[in-house]
Order: sequence, then structure tokens, then C-alpha cells
Amino acid sequence: MKKVLVNQLIYRFMRIGLLPLLLITGFTGIMYARPAHGQEVLNQKINLIADNKEVKTVLNELSRLADIKFVYSSQRIPARQKISVIAHNKPLGEVLDNILQPLNILYYVSGKQIVLMRKGEDFSISAFLNNDQHKMLVADELPMKTISGKVTTDAGEPLAGVSVLVRGTNRGTVTDEKGSFTIAADAGETLEFSMVGYKVFSIKIGNESVVSVKLQSETINMNEVVIVGYGTQRRSSLTGAISSINNKAITELPVASVEQALQGRVAGLTVTNNGEPGTSPIVRIRGVSSINFASDPLYVIDGFPTGNLSNFDSRDIESVEVLKDASAAAIYGSRATNGVILITTKKGKRNGKLQVQLDSYVGTQSPWKKIDLLNTEQYLRYERALNGAAGIDMPPRLQPNNFNKPIYDGTSQTYAQTNTDWQDAYFKSGVLTQHNLSVSGGNDLSRFYSSAGYFKQDGISKGVYYERGNFRINSEHRISKVFSFGENLFLSYSKQRYDNTSGNRTRLVNVIRNLPYLPVYDPTTMGGYRNAENSVDGADPTNPIEDAVLLGGAYRKTLKVLGTAYAEINFTPWLKFRSTFGTDYVNQVQHQFAPIFNDKGRSAALATINDVRTSLTTLLYTEQLTFDKTFRDHHLTVTGVYEQQGARGYGEQLIGNQATNDIETLIGATNVSAFSTSTENLLISYVGRLNYEYAGKYLLSAAIRRDGLSLWAPGNKFANFPSASVGWRVDQESFMRNAKYISELKIRAGYGETGLNGIGIFGKLPNSQLANDYPWQAVVSQNGAIYPFNNSMPSGGNASFYNTISNLGLEWEKTKQLNIGVDLGLLNNSITISADYYRRKTDNLMLSVPTPGSFGFNGSGVLANVGSMQNSGLDVQLGYNKRTGDFKWDVTGNISFIKNKVLNLNTPNASIDQGGDQDFGGGAPLTRTAAGEVIQSFYGYVVDGIFQSDAEVASSPFQTAKTKAGDLKFRDISGPNGKPDGVITADDRTFLGNYLPNFSYSLNFGANYKNFDASVFFQGVQGNKIFNATRIISEGMARLFGSGTAVLNAWTPSNTNTDVPRAISGDPNQNVRPSTRWIENGSYLRLKNIMIGYTVPANVLRSLTKGAVSSFRLYVSSQNLLTFTHYKGWDPEIGSKNTTLTNGIDYGQYPAARSVQFGLQVGF
Amino acid sequence: MVLFAVLGIIACEKSLNKTNPSYPGLDSYFRNSSELLKGTNAIYSIFHSGSLIGREWFFIHDLRSDDVTSGGGQLEVPRAQILNGATTPDNSVMNSVWNGLYTVIHRANTVISYAPGVTDNTALRDRNMGEAKFFRAWAYFELVSMWGPVPMYLQPVTASNQFQPRAAETAIYDQIVKDLQDAAGALPTAYGDEDRGRVTRGAANAMLGRVLMQKGDYAGAKTALLAVKNSGLYTINIPYQNNYLEETEFNPESIFEAVFFENIPNSFNWGGQGDDPSQSQGTVRNQEYSPIAWRNLIPSNRFLNEFENTATGAAKTDPRFGMAVYQTGDTYNNGNSVLTDDDQNGNSSVLNGATKKISWRKFMIIYKHGKGGDRAGGGNNQRIIRYAEVLLMLAECENELNNPTAAVDYLNQVRDRPGVAMPHYPTAQYPTGTKDQITKAIMHEKTAELGDEEIRNRDILRWRKKGYFTTDPLPYFRAGRDELLPIPQQEIDNNPQLAAGGIAKQNPGY
Repeated sequence: MKKVLVNQLIYRFMRIGLLPLLLITGFTGIMYARPAHGQEVLNQKINLIADNKEVKTVLNELSRLADIKFVYSSQRIPARQKISVIAHNKPLGEVLDNILQPLNILYYVSGKQIVLMRKGEDFSISAFLNNDQHKMLVADELPMKTISGKVTTDAGEPLAGVSVLVRGTNRGTVTDEKGSFTIAADAGETLEFSMVGYKVFSIKIGNESVVSVKLQSETINMNEVVIVGYGTQRRSSLTGAISSINNKAITELPVASVEQALQGRVAGLTVTNNGEPGTSPIVRIRGVSSINFASDPLYVIDGFPTGNLSNFDSRDIESVEVLKDASAAAIYGSRATNGVILITTKKGKRNGKLQVQLDSYVGTQSPWKKIDLLNTEQYLRYERALNGAAGIDMPPRLQPNNFNKPIYDGTSQTYAQTNTDWQDAYFKSGVLTQHNLSVSGGNDLSRFYSSAGYFKQDGISKGVYYERGNFRINSEHRISKVFSFGENLFLSYSKQRYDNTSGNRTRLVNVIRNLPYLPVYDPTTMGGYRNAENSVDGADPTNPIEDAVLLGGAYRKTLKVLGTAYAEINFTPWLKFRSTFGTDYVNQVQHQFAPIFNDKGRSAALATINDVRTSLTTLLYTEQLTFDKTFRDHHLTVTGVYEQQGARGYGEQLIGNQATNDIETLIGATNVSAFSTSTENLLISYVGRLNYEYAGKYLLSAAIRRDGLSLWAPGNKFANFPSASVGWRVDQESFMRNAKYISELKIRAGYGETGLNGIGIFGKLPNSQLANDYPWQAVVSQNGAIYPFNNSMPSGGNASFYNTISNLGLEWEKTKQLNIGVDLGLLNNSITISADYYRRKTDNLMLSVPTPGSFGFNGSGVLANVGSMQNSGLDVQLGYNKRTGDFKWDVTGNISFIKNKVLNLNTPNASIDQGGDQDFGGGAPLTRTAAGEVIQSFYGYVVDGIFQSDAEVASSPFQTAKTKAGDLKFRDISGPNGKPDGVITADDRTFLGNYLPNFSYSLNFGANYKNFDASVFFQGVQGNKIFNATRIISEGMARLFGSGTAVLNAWTPSNTNTDVPRAISGDPNQNVRPSTRWIENGSYLRLKNIMIGYTVPANVLRSLTKGAVSSFRLYVSSQNLLTFTHYKGWDPEIGSKNTTLTNGIDYGQYPAARSVQFGLQVGF
Repeated sequence: MVLFAVLGIIACEKSLNKTNPSYPGLDSYFRNSSELLKGTNAIYSIFHSGSLIGREWFFIHDLRSDDVTSGGGQLEVPRAQILNGATTPDNSVMNSVWNGLYTVIHRANTVISYAPGVTDNTALRDRNMGEAKFFRAWAYFELVSMWGPVPMYLQPVTASNQFQPRAAETAIYDQIVKDLQDAAGALPTAYGDEDRGRVTRGAANAMLGRVLMQKGDYAGAKTALLAVKNSGLYTINIPYQNNYLEETEFNPESIFEAVFFENIPNSFNWGGQGDDPSQSQGTVRNQEYSPIAWRNLIPSNRFLNEFENTATGAAKTDPRFGMAVYQTGDTYNNGNSVLTDDDQNGNSSVLNGATKKISWRKFMIIYKHGKGGDRAGGGNNQRIIRYAEVLLMLAECENELNNPTAAVDYLNQVRDRPGVAMPHYPTAQYPTGTKDQITKAIMHEKTAELGDEEIRNRDILRWRKKGYFTTDPLPYFRAGRDELLPIPQQEIDNNPQLAAGGIAKQNPGY
């Protein structure tokens, strides 16, 4: 009986005449208050002629014509009264008005049923039910009644889209735009009202049939439904560390990717810019868990686990959940060590109304800082100081007779008259724009959300940009009460013109190094640019503008299709089966074209084409059974899953030369070489989870996942990943009733084991474009090399080699994590605090055990599970909100502390050194990873000032034979026997700090005043170090190049009060060596975003646009407007080179931009 | 239903067994002669890579000699370190050479260990084994002469704990000699055209002569070198400059050379390992040394003033001087360009009291190319051993074995070569009345003939030991330290067994 739809019930009441009339007070005075979808019914055009017919007959006729049903009590309305009606192509609503108004009858539309009532009737359902005589009948035959009502805010404004659910059932509805709803429920059942941003409200139904509900807003919604892996959970029942980010925060920043939008939003989640537009930032949850592999979290988009979020449009996102601790993430087992980010895309609302939303902004961005570089006059002085000191002749170009020559034939401008500002030439402002149009809607049967988006970000330097177009269709259909079906489809295309500089001489390095007396352009050269000629200029910077524009023809075009389809079977309200099938297809085409050119310093006689194509198809297949039932005070949810995810990849590379710049393909090309490879991997998983809740106070969750992965050797393919957590909702205890300031208090603890996501992390084998899916296997590079015996090149190579060892024992890196958390809400949750302490220990670290050179593997390491590492930390999230009055505001802040320590490596004294480069400190490594230290700590010498005299040199520990006054004095820390030995050697290197901040934090302030809204978002890190390798370029003075102005402050006998050592070419004392000289405080506080918006009031909008536009908001915002830092480089946000152990080393990274944009959001 | 589900899942679990579809596994490779040949070729390919002959090898030898000096401020830090005797264990040039040499050894060991299992072409197999042994010996000789006692691996490493300790120099020399003797026995005296560039019996014997001489076994060296001489396959009766030109590669004076080929103009395989057949197969020597490129290293004044010159009292100016170096005013680019001071960045030299810009000419490709382009990726083969060196080594052997007449005769054979025709020893400047005088003449002749051919540094080691220098050729030299380079830090850090043989993990003084 309970399943019978509410309106049918009403109809039955009427028909059998048990109820004279259901007159619901809520209906009074809402004569024309038609629900949204009712409007469609009433708008249909009717042709009807009735001459002196009974009302009943006319209604029957109308019912037939309009395919509707009338519900009424013939005792309450004059059904037999005769009327006359003439309607030619008139809307049904008008016809009804004409007929019923004179009869004093109100009508109400519900779906295809129209309820008729007598005006002024105050007969209530409670009155009816209090009548014993009828009560029995109702209880027997009519177990459900219709509850209607209205949901408003504290301030009394109607709330649309509030979910209304009868607890423990499938019955639910959503409020319309007036906040009204109607639902069938039994007396004794509980209605729950929930909406994101508001506290859940529940009411037990007694005799009433009308309820008025006021929902209280809250910033941190402790009762909202949170997406967890393979299901949902109430926030109040959570026992793990899960943070949710709502759609507003995600879309507030004008950034290309979801990852960038997450920066600063979640305690414990760090996001670091890592390069030019379209390059993914570095995302870490609770630090770095792996030494050898990128610690990227697992992203799960609408249930589809995927490796990255490339091409994703953040405007499609409804919510993001970050699963931080093991007990929350372990449901994803072997892939969960780095945390899981769950993304839920938007769905249509079931309110029977189409919603069209346009979201657009356009802005401009530019670099926020310039560093001081030498001008031509300063460069000449510097050259003499540097080369003169070493007895080196002035480069030919600088000699007066050459320097006063024209810079090229046909101009009178001389080198002496040229003063190029290479920063001005390289940097530029760029356009940033995004448009997203979405259409969504739905009713009880179906709902959908579809969108189209476009994003474009120009570089703030020449030669790079990123653009993307994307489409989405999400739909869901209720086939019957038992079956439902849905699908999500995402399609996107992106194009990135990327920085194809290889090696460490980045374009920014060349901006610093370039020679101010040289022009950028030279119309007499082939290609139009001008480069230094090392034999004439005595320096070989390359022209970064030429590199970016002429030689930087490098594009990545990506097509991505991500789709899932699911069917759901609700066997009973408490047993649900869901089957999901999904596919993720990514096709990437990379095309590079380096033309024939000659810039006087460099040339290419042939154009080079380098094409790379890869495609990756991932298939997902998930079968899930969920049991969810409440027995009195016990609430039990059990989930079982079988899942299988497999991927096939194909990659190819084609390289060749053309003798012309006009053909960018390999037709007729020479030196063509081609490779292709394919790979395949498969993950099979069994998942079980149990959630148990007693009396809403005591919470228990336990899960286990058994993963089998094709990547490992036979016998090692399976592993189990268990987790468990408990929670205690202290605020629900009776002894807390009197603590009136405490509105929420929960204590949580969890422990679990997770694994490192092994798919896609293993380095590419030679000539392959794909990650290695067979890491344990030692393979031969067949024809992987060539030797031109007799000066001839056999096509495809003639030499085979190997430099690996097979390791059958390889397995997952495993992390055990403990999490203890507390959630506290004060003063009715206007103040919220959430804090989590964690300790995670990763064992089985898979290191590329650095083989000694004598193994002959040419530096390539051998993978083995050795070593362990520990991260511990504290995440705290604080919030305050004021949600009443005209001026509403809220503040949320978060702060996270983390400590990292490598516990052991393959041998007690083993070290993993990285980051060395001849241009940056002479080739010595910049970071060292060793047991007992923070991962990839900066490593080098300690500088104890500058030698002020040769006597001081002589009386100090020996450095080099050529050390002189003005050189840096390095500290004698150790020697071969572990003691200072009077000689500065490699033993004197030590750990110099690391890139991990002491804490990172953010503060978000949001406010509304009438129709204005504003938000201010600060984000910062404190206590980290940056290895400013860019300064080795700008003030290292090892070789002659353009430099920063710091070199003018070099030590001389007359300029002794300086921290810049003497200028001497060749740097005999190796003042450039990695040392404390280059380590800087990387702390910064950044005004990440500031935004002011204005929403046009609804009534003004209605009258202006005649209802065509339902909402209209304008805003202006700016990113990175202010940055407070002592860092001397372009930008303190430093990523890593190739995601190796080089985080926090500034090799001349593309800096974060400052931007301003203007946007509008329009609803139709 | 349940049964089907279970069976289905079991079937899926089976599909977890996957192996690489794109690459052959090591467990099935190097099993036939064609695969063994490819394994042998891979030794050659790493040998001519940027970590070795293509770049760092000529640097490390030149930087440790007094043939060169810094061209100016452009010499990169790790190179300057070696040149100035300030080499640190993390020096990247030195590390690169170390890794490159051990890669040669690993690939040679691979061939040597898999060869016995190959039976389909035993002649080719045995030749490959000979080639591998030659290279293993060559690499160990490079190692032992630069680093002293080094870890010795004679089998490819198959588990990550197979570390080897430093072996005594004598043990390493014994192995080198044995390998070269085996190679000489297995290698052919010559190849067909398609295999030009492979090592021959002559190369093995000449290398053996070098090794034994370095070891102090002059009699043994003489025997090996005479085998080269008596083969009759080699001659110095070719123009001197043919040793450095691209058109005259594989000439009858050349005993062994590293083959470079300019398949992609003006480019170089900067990856260093020399792998990847799509990469450039050239050497970068032109970019490093050419007068119109970097001039990272230029001839030292010692080298320039070593040549006999009428200006300094010699009967004839040595024509080899003009074929070894370029000076301002010389023509290049097939005679179409004239070298100016402005072309040549960096330091000047002092020759016979006059300051002028002088740059290396040997192996420089600009004899036929103009400015711009062809700075990197020259295809000119690097001659490793040529017959003139064999004759000069024979001269040294005979002198050390107290056969002065034979010694002087060998020296004069070299001076007689076409286009050189220098007056015979004894000369006024180089009398040959005593063993010491002959030694001086040998030292002089070796510089004049073989300067900048990566030989001088090892001669310095040998002659220093014998006390032949009154002042050490290297100004930074400190006895007990600078004879050897430091063991690379990475080796110390990652080879826990390094000192297990009783030899300290680091060389003295570092």
C-alpha cells in the first residue's frame, strides 16, 4: 500500500467519498500557486464547447482532452451545477479559471492530477483523523497520508531544491521554487530535509498534514550526505578524515584545472604550480609517500578511478571529496596511499523545470614580478670584472671596433646602442577566458545535466598556451520502482603549446643569460631572430623568444572520452544492486616541428618533425551490492563489490627530417625512424565494507579490499588492504544535553593499510611512449642502439643491450596509517573546528636502487622493495559563520603541519642524489635522500662568509689551490674519518633544509550584503626552503653570460662588505657549488583570490527581462594580487622537474601569473 | 549462478598473467649468433657515446695532460676542476666516463657469458667473444690507469647485491693482458668493407703493447708491438693530416678508430649513453675545440713551443705544427675562409714570445666547412691507435731495453713520413748520445706526433714514475694524490663492498 503514489491516494479518497474534502491549509490562498511542472499542464491549449452541461461532465471532457485527472469530492463542490464554456485554443489554466472561479473553487495541480477544493474550506486532515469513527478505516485502507508544506530559510525566504525524504524509505521529493513540497508519509514516520549548506532537519509525523520547516544554514555541514567510495554516508556518521569542497569554491578561481582550484581549500592537501598553462600542478595529500614515484592521489570521477584530471572542466563539478586517511581511502586499496579525490559531477534537479546557466569570464594575466638584470653598460663592466680578473681577453664583439658596428646590415643601430630587456621581450600579458553553458532539468522519471565549455589560457610568456573544449551529458532514468538506469558522458579536446625545452637551460635561464647588446630580431637572418655567436660573443645563451616562437612549435592535442553507464536494482528499500560499466579513452597527439633556420649563432639545415601518438583505453566494470537497514537503534550498511579495471595502451613515435619548412609531415622525409609499443594492465578487486551505527552515537566502519594486479610477477599479484575506524558522537550523549554551547562533538579514530597506485608509474622503456607495465621483467633493448660500421647506418639499429635485473619479488609499497580526529561545533555550529592527527608509515618503498656505476647499467637503478618512510602531521580546519541579517559573512581557515622522515633505504649509508646539472652548481647533486633525513633534503656546503684576505685563506682549511681573497669560505664539517680534517672535500657537504613547509595554511573570507557578495582568499606556506638555482645563473659568475645586477656587487678589495664573492671567470674556488648560498626561505603568503560580485535582485530582473532571465550575477576578481615573500626569484611557488626528487629547486620555472577577470553568471 | 560467477572470476584472475608484448625478455635473448652480434655491436655503440669517445673521454684525457689549457671563461666547472687538479668525487665528467667504461664492461661481460651457449655460428661467436674481450680490456685499462684499483666484474650482474670490491692493480692488469691475448688470438687481422671499424688482431696487439708498457713490462710490450709491425698491414707512409680528415678514415696507418657518422647535420646525442638509433651518431669534439666554436680547450704554450722551429734554432720547422693547430691568418673551409682573431673567442697563446690566437686543428671539421653549422655532430672518426704510436712505443721499449740504435731508428722512421721529413735524430736540440737523451727525444717526438690524441696523460704517469720530469708537467701536482682521480662518490655510496678487498674505498688525498 505504501508504494501507491500520493495523488492516486488522494484520488481514491475522493472517489470513495470517505473524505468530504482534503483541504490542506497550505493550499489556502495559493489559487494560482502551481508547481513548476504544473505550468506545462496548464499551458496546453484546449478547444471545448459546452452548452449548459454539468460541471462533472465538463470536467470529464476536459480530463479526456488534456489527459489529466480531476480529484475532488462531489459533496464539496457543486458537481452537478450546469455551466456553459466556449474555449478556442485557450490554455487549460485559463479555461479552468473561467469555469471554477465563479464557483468559488480553487484548484491545485500535482503532476497530471488537478485537485479541486472549495474556497475558504478549513477542514483539516487532523480534524478528520481525530474523528474516531473514520480513523479505523484510514488505518486499514489508507495507511498513508499526504504531507505538504513549505521549507524556508531562517529569514523566511523559500528554499528550492531541498531534498525531502521519508527516513528509511525510497520516498522522496524536492521542494519547488516556492519551497513547497508534497509527500506521502505515515504517521510515525520521519521526514528529513536536507540541502547542501544547511543543517539537516527532521520531523516525526504525527497528526499534522502540513509542516513548515526552517532550515538553518551552516558552513561546515555536519549532516550533509558525503560521497565516500562506493556509496554515500552522512557527514555525522563519518569516522574517517574526509574533506568536502563545494561547487562554489571549485569554480571561484579562473584556473584551467580542478587541481588548481583545490589549492588551499583542504587542510593536508597541497597543490603546487609546476609550469606553463596546461601543465598539471603537483598535488599531494598528507605529504610524499613515495621516494621513487610521483605521489599523486587517485582521482575517482563519478565512480571511475583514473590517474589524472587532464581536460576536466571544473564547472561540471557538483562536489569534491578528499579522502585523506587510510580508513577512508582504503576502500580503494592498492591505489589509495596517496589519498583519493572523489569528484561528483552535476545532475539535473527533479523539479520539473529546465535550468539554463551561462557562466563566463574573460580576464588578463601577467607576471607579477621582474628581477634586475644587467643592461648593456653594466654588462660591459661585468665582463671586464669577470674575464679581466682571469686574464681573459675581451670577447671580440665587445672590442670597440666591433661594438660600434651595426647590429645587422641595413641598420645604423650599433651593438653599443642596443639595450634589450630580455624579460620585457619574453614576458607578455595574456588572455584568460572560460565559458560554460549548461542545461539541466528533470522530473520524477528522468533527469539530466548537459554542458558545453570552452577554456583558453594564454601564456604570460611567449610561445605557450592552453585551450580546451568539452561537453558533458549526465542522465538518470527511473524505469520502475525497482530499476533505474543512468549514464555520464564526458568528451573533451585540448590543445597545449608547451615549452619543449629539453634539459635545464630553460627559457627563463636564457632570459637571464642573454646579452643586452644583442637584438631579439634580425631581419637579415633566416627565421628573423638573432642569437649570440659563442666564438664572437664569448657566451652561448640561446634566444628565448626564438626558442619559444620559432623553434617552440610543439603541440599536445588530447581527446578524452570518459563515460560510464550504470543500472541499479532496488530489490527492497534496504538491498540495492548496482552494475557500472565505464570507459576512459585518451588519445594524445604530440607534434613538434623545428624549422630550418640560421640565427648567426645556431642553424639547422633540415627541419625536424617529431610526432608522438599515444592512446590509452581503460575499461571499468563494477558490480556492487549494498545492504542498508535500520533495526531500532542499530543501523547497518554492508557493501560488497567486485571490480575489474584494465587498460590497453598503444604508442608510436615518428621522427624525420624535411628539406623544406613548408611541409610539416613525413612525406618524402629523410632519416625517418619509427617505434611503436603496446602495453596492457589489469586490476581485479574484491571489496567488502561494513558500517555500523548504534543509537546514532557509536560508529564503526571496517573494510577490506583484495587487489590483484597484473604488473607484479606471478605469485605476487594479490594483496589485502584492510582498514577499520570508530567514532563516538559525544554530543548525542544524555550528559551533553546541558552543554548548550556545544552543538556537535565527535571523536574519531581509524587505522588502515593502503598501497601505492602501481599503474602508470613505472618509467618508460627505451623507445616506448608508454609507462612500463611489466616492471619485474628484465627486457632487452633489441636494436636499441646503433653503431655505424663503415660509416653506414643500418635502418632501425644494429645493437641490443640491457641494463636491468629482473625482480620477481616486486610488490606494492604499503602504507599503514593511523588517524585520530575530532569534530567540534559550537554555538549551534556557527563555530566549527575539525582536527586530525595522523601518522603514516610507508614500508616496502620501491626504490630504483642506485646501482653503482661499476654494475655497468649506466646509471639506471634496479627496482626493489627496500626502505621505509614516515609522515606525521596535523590538519586543522576552522570555521565561523554568521548567517542572519543583511550582512552575512563567514570565515574558514585551515592549517596543516607535516613532518617527513626517511627511515631507511637499501643500505644504511645509501643515498639517492638528484638535481645535479653542470649549469647549476657544477654538476654536483642538489638534493640527497638518506635515512634519518627529510626526503630530498637540499645538500651541499655551508658558507661561512667571504675570505677577506689571502692570509685568511692560508689560515683556513684548504679549499683549492687557487682559492683567493674574495672567495667563499666553506665550513670544514667532516672528513674521511668523520671529523673535520682541515680540507674542504665532498665530506664537508651536509643537509641544508628541505622544501617541505613547517605548515601551510589558508584563510577564506566570504560575505554577503544584500545583493553584493565578496570573497577574499589567502593561501600561504611557512618555513620551507627553496634552492634558488636560478640565482646560480643570475649571480654565479662561473662563466660569462648575461646576469643579474647582483654581480655588480661582487667582492673586490674595495668592496668587501658584500655577500657576493669575487668575479673571476672559471670560478676556481667553485663558489657556485651547491651551498647555503643558494638556499632561500620559501615562505609566502598570497592573496590568492579576491572577488566582488553583484546579483541583480530577482524582481528587478523579472520586470526587466519579462521573466526570460532568472538570475544574473556580475563579478570582478583578481588572483595573486599580492604576494608577501622574501624569495628573490620570479615566484616562490616552485614545483619539480619531471616529478623527480627535485621539488623546490627553481631551475627557472614558469611563474604563477597575476590576473584580473570580469565574469557573469546568468540563469535562464 | 554462483558457480559461473566463481569460474568467471577465476578466468579473470588468470588474465592477470601478462608479459611485455613489445620487448624480448632477457630470459630468451642472446641465444643465437645474430643476437650475440647485436650484443657485441652494443659495446661499440656505448664506446663511441658522449660518455666516452664522443665527448667526455677526450676531455678527461686532455684535461689530465699538459697538451691543453683553458680556452677561456667558457670551460664548464667540472672540466675546469679536472684541469686545475681540483677534481671532487662528484665531478660529473669523471662520473660519466666511469659509468661509460663500466657499461662497456657490462656489455662485454654479457657477450662473454652468453657466448658459450651460442652454437649456430661458432666462428662468428668466437670473433664476438674476441671483440668483447678487447673492449673489456680497453675499459679496464682506462679505469686502472685513471683510478688505480677499481672493482673488477667479469660476469654480468644478475642480482642487486653482486657488488665487487676494489681489486689490486696487478690483478686488473693480469686480467687485461689475458683478455687482450685471448682477443688477439680470436680476432681476424682485417674485415670486409661492411665491417670496417671493428677491432682486429692488430688493435689487440697494439693495445697489449700499450698496457704492458704502462705496467713496466717493456720486453712483453715489444713482443706485442712487433707483432703489429711484422703483420705488414700498417704503414705511416701517408700524409700526416690524413689521420684527422673525414675522407681518409680507415687508412693504412689507422689500427683502431671510433666510427662517427653525421647522420643528422649539426646535432649530437646529448643523452650521453649513445643509445637510441634515431639519435645523432656524431662526435661533439668540433663544437668543443674548433677555433670558430667554443675553444673550450686550446693548445697549451708547452705544446706549441715543443715543436722544432727555425725561429728557435732548429734546422727545420716541424710541418706537423701547422697540421696540428690553426692560427689567425690560416685558411679553412676548403681555403675559402680566413681565420681572424674576432672568430676566436677566449684566450690567446704565447708562441715563441708572440701572443696570438691558436686553436686545435686535429679532427676539426672546418677544414671543409665554414662558419655556422657543423659545430656539433661531426662525423670524423676518432683514431684511437695509429701505427706511428706503435713505432714510438717500440722506440721507448728499445730505449728502456737498452737498444739505443733501434730506438733512434724507430724515431727516425716517424720523422721520415711523407710531408714531414724532419732531419734525423740526433739533432742539435735533441742529441741521442745517452739513454736520457733518447728519452727526451722520445718525449719530444711523441708530443710533436701525437699531441692532443689523448695519449700524453698516460705517458706523464709512466714517465713521472721513472723520474723523467725535472718539474712536473702538471702545475697542481701533489705526489700521492694527483696520480689518480677520486673514486666517484656514487660508487662509494652505492657499492657497500667497495673496500671489502682491503683497499680503502677512496683514493688517497680525496
